[in-house]
Amino acid sequence: MEGEGYVTDRAVATAVYLATSLGKPLLVEGHPGVGKTDIAKVLAKVLDGDLIRLQCYEGLDATTALYEWNYPKQLLHIKLDERSDRSVGQREADIFSEGFLLKRPLLQAITHHGRPPVLLIDEVDRADEEFEAFLLEVLSDFQVTIPEVGTLRAESRPAVVLTSNRSRDLSDALRRRCLYLWIDYPSLEKELRIVRTRVPGIGERLAAQLTSFMQSLRRQKLAKTPGVAESLDWAAALVALHATELDPALVQETMGCFLKDESDLRAVGARIEAGELAAMCSPAG
Amino acid sequence: MTAPAATDLVAHTTRFCRVLRDEGLATTPGDTLDAARVLELVDLTDREDLRHALRGVLVHRVEDGPVFDRVFDSFWGGRPLPPSGWLQRNPPPTPPRRERAPVSLERWARGEVETEREEAQLPGPSELESLGGQDFHSYGDEALREVTRVARRIARRLATRPSRRWKPARGGARPHLRRTLRLSVKTGGEVSELAFRERKVRRTKLVVLADVSGSMDLYARLFLQFLFALQHSFARVETFVFATRLSRITDQLRARAYGDALAELSAEVRDWNGGTRIGASLERFGREWPRLVDGHTVVIVLSDGWETGDPEVLAEALSSIRRRAARVVWLNPLLGSPGYEPITRGMQAALPHIDVFAPAHDLASLGQLARHLAL
Repeated sequence: MEGEGYVTDRAVATAVYLATSLGKPLLVEGHPGVGKTDIAKVLAKVLDGDLIRLQCYEGLDATTALYEWNYPKQLLHIKLDERSDRSVGQREADIFSEGFLLKRPLLQAITHHGRPPVLLIDEVDRADEEFEAFLLEVLSDFQVTIPEVGTLRAESRPAVVLTSNRSRDLSDALRRRCLYLWIDYPSLEKELRIVRTRVPGIGERLAAQLTSFMQSLRRQKLAKTPGVAESLDWAAALVALHATELDPALVQETMGCFLKDESDLRAVGARIEAGELAAMCSPAG
Repeated sequence: MTAPAATDLVAHTTRFCRVLRDEGLATTPGDTLDAARVLELVDLTDREDLRHALRGVLVHRVEDGPVFDRVFDSFWGGRPLPPSGWLQRNPPPTPPRRERAPVSLERWARGEVETEREEAQLPGPSELESLGGQDFHSYGDEALREVTRVARRIARRLATRPSRRWKPARGGARPHLRRTLRLSVKTGGEVSELAFRERKVRRTKLVVLADVSGSMDLYARLFLQFLFALQHSFARVETFVFATRLSRITDQLRARAYGDALAELSAEVRDWNGGTRIGASLERFGREWPRLVDGHTVVIVLSDGWETGDPEVLAEALSSIRRRAARVVWLNPLLGSPGYEPITRGMQAALPHIDVFAPAHDLASLGQLARHLAL
């Protein structure tokens, strides 16, 4: 995984290895911006398979996740076919064939040809429990029955990664079927490695200052604690500004890269005005 | 670690899973099977690899991580294991009980009404002359019927909330396109019948956590009546009471008559009118009944916020409940009194973690509750 620019540790590596060897879905939980989604992306690269992504949201239901008949196309086909002398049975067989099926992510994953794909079910906590139950059914045997077509079974089981931000508790049934991985905010050393790997143009000194600063921010009580994704955004922004080290004015100007809440901006801004930047940038800070 | 024979290892792993289960993890036989399979996949001489691998299959939520690590260390590392169930049997020490006999419940059950006010330190909410008339503590028996009516009204509102999802329905308000087209197939693509759809009803659930400690004594009786009525007019409600310990009283409230419910309660809830450990009680609720709270659940805490335990525990427990619940409503009877400020340590700790902070000192305020419950 390191080869694909994902800085990992043993817990992550072991979990991913086991998920692929046991053929079980991997449930990844953690704070926003710690690289949950990236696991699936990197896994797809490593396995050399396609990444199929299902973004969950409230109200997501089986038709948007699995399949839907292409009604306008069916209707048009019926109209066009009106004058032919084919029997009703034949016509019906026509319009309920796979060509009229709109494949949504789950069905795509099941009917995928070639190398097994990676199915990413992102932010599963945002979907509701009805959907979770439906998901369980699909994940347990990777087959789907479409009344008009028949049962479709996956040629090769996709590797499945589910991510959750813990905005609500997932059902025990779902948890039990998955391998579980909790990703915490990275340590200083790990974050430094991540920043250096993902933002190659960054200077040594700036990278060290930035990661120490972010680490100290995470110890502060904020409404939205910045994750690694924010560190990387900020690092990229600083590189674009040709910065080589942090100074109070620069931090004030670019704070919007990693603080996404007005009260946080004010709180951190006040700390910097009070001259705490140097302390926050030192590894112990 | 000397490598034991394979069968020993499997037996050892099975024992390990059993210990985890004793310590409160929901380890299933399926998990044990996975754990055994994992042993073939990892380098057994590397303890950390083994830890990560077993953790992956046996831990299903981050809260269980520390327990797992502790058991793992002692089980695979040769350190002595605390006796099983140790955590449960050794809860943190409880503060001394207040010297006050838990009598009122039995007395209510016999029909005696306790009227004298014993809690001198309570801010007096009795001066209030608001919409609903008297304050709860001075209510007589005729008010009980009124309480029941309010509960029914709330139940009715909850049972008719529309959701965002649709379902096919005869006489629904909007056409159901997919069905209509499906129906048109039988007439060769000509639309001759319309199908309709309507909104599903939102399945709101309620969890009520009621404080019945000494300081809530004056209100507890009416609340209990309210909870009883609510339980009977709304199916999806779970009720708990707490003072120093948490007890689930849903089943008792299902008794047919209020008197029976009270009698059953007084037999089973022992710490009625004791001191208050809100945080510990909420924490226990979150740990032992995690499945009761989901995105369709409104959690109602009925308490005056007089916490004798650690306010930090309260804040932590409440924020974890709030993360999972649709809404957390805190009803404080003292909020109805004009001079009241939520300055007790417990209330201060709780305030950042609740969505609605509302009074509950009289019928009018309880009637307002429906507004906060509709998701």
